[in-house]
Amino acid sequence: MAEQREHLFGQLSDAVVAMDVEQAQALSRAAVEHGLDAGEAMEQGLADGMHRAGIRYERQEYFIPELLLCSDAMYAGLEVLRPHMSNSHCRRRGTVVIGVVEGDTHDIGKNLVKIMLEAAGFEVHDLGRDVSARRFVDRTMEVGADILALSTLMTTTMPRMQDVLMLLQQEGHRHRVRVLVGGGPVSQAFADRIGADGYAPNASAAARAAIALAARPASPRPADE
Amino acid sequence: MPMPTPKERLLRTLAGEAHDRPPVICCGGMMNAATVEIAAGTVYLLPAAHCDGRLMAALAVDVHRCTGFENLGVPFDLTLEAELLGSEVDYGNAACEPRVVREAFPSAGAVIRDSVDSLLGHPRVRALTDAVRRLSAAHAHLPVIANIAGPISTAASAVDPLAFFKGMAREEHATHRVLDLVCEVLEEHARRLVAAGATVVCIGDPTATGEILGPHRFAEFALPRLSRLVAAVRSAGAPVIVHICGDITAVRHLLPEMRADALSTDAKVSLGALKREFPGIRTVGNVSTQLLEFGPPERVARQVQRLLAEGVDVVAPACGLSASTPLTHIRALTDAVKLGRPLYRNERC
Repeated sequence: MAEQREHLFGQLSDAVVAMDVEQAQALSRAAVEHGLDAGEAMEQGLADGMHRAGIRYERQEYFIPELLLCSDAMYAGLEVLRPHMSNSHCRRRGTVVIGVVEGDTHDIGKNLVKIMLEAAGFEVHDLGRDVSARRFVDRTMEVGADILALSTLMTTTMPRMQDVLMLLQQEGHRHRVRVLVGGGPVSQAFADRIGADGYAPNASAAARAAIALAARPASPRPADE
Repeated sequence: MPMPTPKERLLRTLAGEAHDRPPVICCGGMMNAATVEIAAGTVYLLPAAHCDGRLMAALAVDVHRCTGFENLGVPFDLTLEAELLGSEVDYGNAACEPRVVREAFPSAGAVIRDSVDSLLGHPRVRALTDAVRRLSAAHAHLPVIANIAGPISTAASAVDPLAFFKGMAREEHATHRVLDLVCEVLEEHARRLVAAGATVVCIGDPTATGEILGPHRFAEFALPRLSRLVAAVRSAGAPVIVHICGDITAVRHLLPEMRADALSTDAKVSLGALKREFPGIRTVGNVSTQLLEFGPPERVARQVQRLLAEGVDVVAPACGLSASTPLTHIRALTDAVKLGRPLYRNERC
């Protein structure tokens, strides 16, 4: 049974890497029919495939079109598994609010990060693109997010990331959430300058950074507030 | 030899001819310098200037005067082409550039073909053409740079970008068809801008980066269209600058094939190394826009001097300037090129 389970999870993972939507759906149905844990099938099968696709992206073997097609396969499988997930013993890693900052409507990068975060087990609230600092802060507080992930592709809108951090600070919420920033022109130096908690150069790294940030206990009272 | 006009200097530089010193420019379009400080100091308020040729031309002149950039550059955004293909655009305000808020088509397969003539009858195209005509007529000594969005950036903001990038793998035929249509529109658009008096055309194709497409798709989808567009502009009689964003490592070997007169890149690319690798290539750039925003002016001037020492042909900001970039930092850039040494002025225009 264990061997059969591992084989099926391996095939699920391969289906995602191969961008094969039908195969991912068929194998997910097979996992359910065999009574396997849906959460494990997601984690060790579909998400593992997405993780492998992310590694191929970092190695420049896959590019954005491939990553998007891999995610189609992952989500197709997830649709089949989702109704059976409530029985799973797998736990969420944390809650993330994500969006592209105001003035920028380029959301490919943000969408990739969202995919990798979901694959990594986070509950993701996606605010979309062209999102004001106000909306970021309100939603972060509303859902009690552990992580706020901000994205921008343009150099012209990078200052809007700082606006979000300033609003969090002004309203006394900065210590409640870890802020992760990324996007084409963003760098670690920029993240440090605006006082973000983390930076990631690509979607896979963003998922790793989020896992690391979520594992850090939030400080009950910040020194600077 | 009499002192060349800024127009002569830029044209000679782009032609690879001898000149007294590198020009310092800011192309416009996605890389415009219409900062809040400038827009607030004039009566030509944004966003009205995006849709009115007279205001657009006047703002371009103000940008030139306030910054010291040796060109006039229009328009002030990268959304015009997507808008004329049917996408919905929010024109923003002085602090926030226009952006596409809804793409015209859900997928490449859904794109409906309209005649090039009727597409180019769009009011914003008329405003831009009018601005180019006014600027070239009134400022014969200055190069007028007309900016157009490149084929991939245009297509990926006329079609839902997620669907468009997936389409490169799943509906290749439809993707090629859309890119051909886009290219046809852009070619004619560029020809008309040259006919209206544009000295140089700058094609900004930030989405055509190797980071997104990878080398194979760049070669298959982007390169043939960029080359075609470059050839069309050059045969219309104007030199071409092509700007590509991001890390170009994956596609750098393909870039000379575009046959652009000059290549503009992001700050992360070493233009010195690019020139050593491809001695025939002329480079535009690539002063960090982050450095321009945060300064201090001394560091901006030092970076300019480093670029000059590396033999960059035309000094310019590396990408889009933040609207909150202080003029003193921009002036540190232009002064460092013109004087060969830093000179800081605090005056406002």
